Amino acid sequence: MNTVLEVKDVNMFYGSGDNKIVAVDSASLAVKRHELLLIMGPSGSGKTTLLSIMGCILYPNSGQVIIKGQVVIGSNQATGNPDRILPHIRKGNFGFVFQSFNLFPFLNAAENVEFVLRIKGHNRGKIRQEALGLLKKVGLENRAGAYPSDLSGGQKQRVAFARALAGDPPIILADEPTASLDSKTGLEVLGLLKLLAEEYGKAIVIVSHDPKAKAFAHRVVYIEDGRIRS
Amino acid sequence: MIWLALKTMRHEKVRLAITLTGIIFSTVLTLMQVSMYLGMMGNATSIIRNTDADIWIASRNVQNFDFAYPFSEEKLNRVRAYHDVLRADRLIMTWGFLKLADGGQDQVQIIGFNPDSGVGAPWSMVYGRPEDVKGGRYMIMDKTSEKRLGELRIGTLWELGGRKFKLVGLSNGIKSFTTAPIIFTSYEQAQQFQGFIKADQTSYIVAKVRDREKVRDREKVRDIVNDLKANMKDNDIYTKDDFGFKTVMYWTIQTGIGLGYFLTASLGLIVGGAIVGQTVYVNTMEHLREYGTLKALGARNSEIYQVIFSQVGISALIGFTSGSGIILALRSGVEKAGVSLYLSPALFLSIFVIVLGTCLLSAYFSVKKIRTLDPMTVFRA
Ligand SMILES: Nc1ncnc2c1ncn2[C@@H]1O[C@H](COP(=O)(O)OP(=O)(O)O)[C@@H](O)[C@H]1O
Ligand SMILES: [Mg+2]
Repeated sequence: MNTVLEVKDVNMFYGSGDNKIVAVDSASLAVKRHELLLIMGPSGSGKTTLLSIMGCILYPNSGQVIIKGQVVIGSNQATGNPDRILPHIRKGNFGFVFQSFNLFPFLNAAENVEFVLRIKGHNRGKIRQEALGLLKKVGLENRAGAYPSDLSGGQKQRVAFARALAGDPPIILADEPTASLDSKTGLEVLGLLKLLAEEYGKAIVIVSHDPKAKAFAHRVVYIEDGRIRS
Repeated sequence: MIWLALKTMRHEKVRLAITLTGIIFSTVLTLMQVSMYLGMMGNATSIIRNTDADIWIASRNVQNFDFAYPFSEEKLNRVRAYHDVLRADRLIMTWGFLKLADGGQDQVQIIGFNPDSGVGAPWSMVYGRPEDVKGGRYMIMDKTSEKRLGELRIGTLWELGGRKFKLVGLSNGIKSFTTAPIIFTSYEQAQQFQGFIKADQTSYIVAKVRDREKVRDREKVRDIVNDLKANMKDNDIYTKDDFGFKTVMYWTIQTGIGLGYFLTASLGLIVGGAIVGQTVYVNTMEHLREYGTLKALGARNSEIYQVIFSQVGISALIGFTSGSGIILALRSGVEKAGVSLYLSPALFLSIFVIVLGTCLLSAYFSVKKIRTLDPMTVFRA
């Protein structure tokens, strides 16, 4: 009952005919609150594709995505134009963390968090306080006015976490969050993610091929050629 | 999302400067061309517009106000015979030579009006009254002719068509399309300019329709015009508006002037629009990852379009305001050089809408790029 995100029998392929690539092959997975799930696999095994489907960014060829018991992708009933529905689902349920941070270069740390709060329709008068509160959670309260170009890789990724936490989504998806960081900073960031799962009750999915990540995960699944092996 | 647009613009100062340059260029060129064109057309129709008459009767095949052919003034009685015609007057528009102090001559446009009724009289008098031309060889000249004729002093005698005329009044701002100085005199005196007009001829008959219920104004005028057309086969009969329009169309179409102004103004818009579109597109391409991130985080396409349109809209507003400022600053200098500019709030508003529309249109490729942007790109390293 604590399961917040589930994918069932998801398939995704690119191209067609001789060029057809099966990126995700009948994958099923579930993740619970307070859980940090690690998906590992070699490059090209379908990790990012699977994560995109879990995060309702990519519409799979078949299979279901279920959030808090509700089938949001692949239900039998017609649900309307996915281009309209999926952004709404993402806004309400997901925080994302990317390998290359994807911070707006012309917004400072606080503003990078603020703009997500704006998208999510939070009260304009309170978003500055909210953003500062989130930066505090990731230990960056004293760099609120710094621009990404003035932040270290670890600090940038922390801003990205604060942004992912904006609007308090139940699920956080992180694609190779340590790949752009040195190994010490990588460990700090993984520790922070684990904290977010345990202390704040988030369901966290990390995709990585970094073996260090295993020590922080509650559960590890392996993917190869789009197939999940536990 | 205006917030994000403002942040982007502040971050990209050089690009903002280029965008604004493009918009200012468009604004200045378009406003200048359109206001010059309207100024010229205003001059071309000024006497038609400022003469208190509903109906203009001209010779057959008249092309515009300045090129009138004389016809028998006897026809005046036929027009006056209409019950619904309150009054009708003769109005002469002819050409003459004015002898200059240095011994040279200048061609001038002579307007002969009825000083008793004041129909066709100069309207913006700075010295004297229109009726002062009555009873002799008296004339009224315009201040704007001073550039060409030298200082115009009241009471001086000028040789016009071989006769001495006394300057008894001055108007200001009455100019013709042809740029020839305009001289007002009485109808009787103007008729004496032998060669082009004969002593029993007029260039126009202008009539005012009797007062009646406002709603039926136009209809009544039309009825009389149609009736006159049937009865006066050798003449062209126009309502005031139609004659103004005919004159404008002549100068605009027949001479190709309109096309020239239209092309230059359009070119200004196209070049400006291309500059804006280009910088906005480069800006969009450079921030594609950020826009993809916006999409991944749940922003709808329309919200991202808002960011782009806000950038363009704010630029258009700033650029247009600056461009208008430049035009207003140049205005008096340009007018001193003898060019009439027609500038009104409605014109500024219309040109703003056009400039804004061009800028928004120029963002088309950026918007298209965003629409097809795959949010999965955000995962690429
Ligand atoms: N947009 C795409 N078009 C075609 N093939 C793709 C696309 N995205 C990914 N692939 C292919 O799908 C497979 C899985 O890719 P991906 O999910 O990125 O793997 P991973 O994240 O594990 O490296 C790879 O073979 C990759 O080349
Ligand atoms: Mg990947």
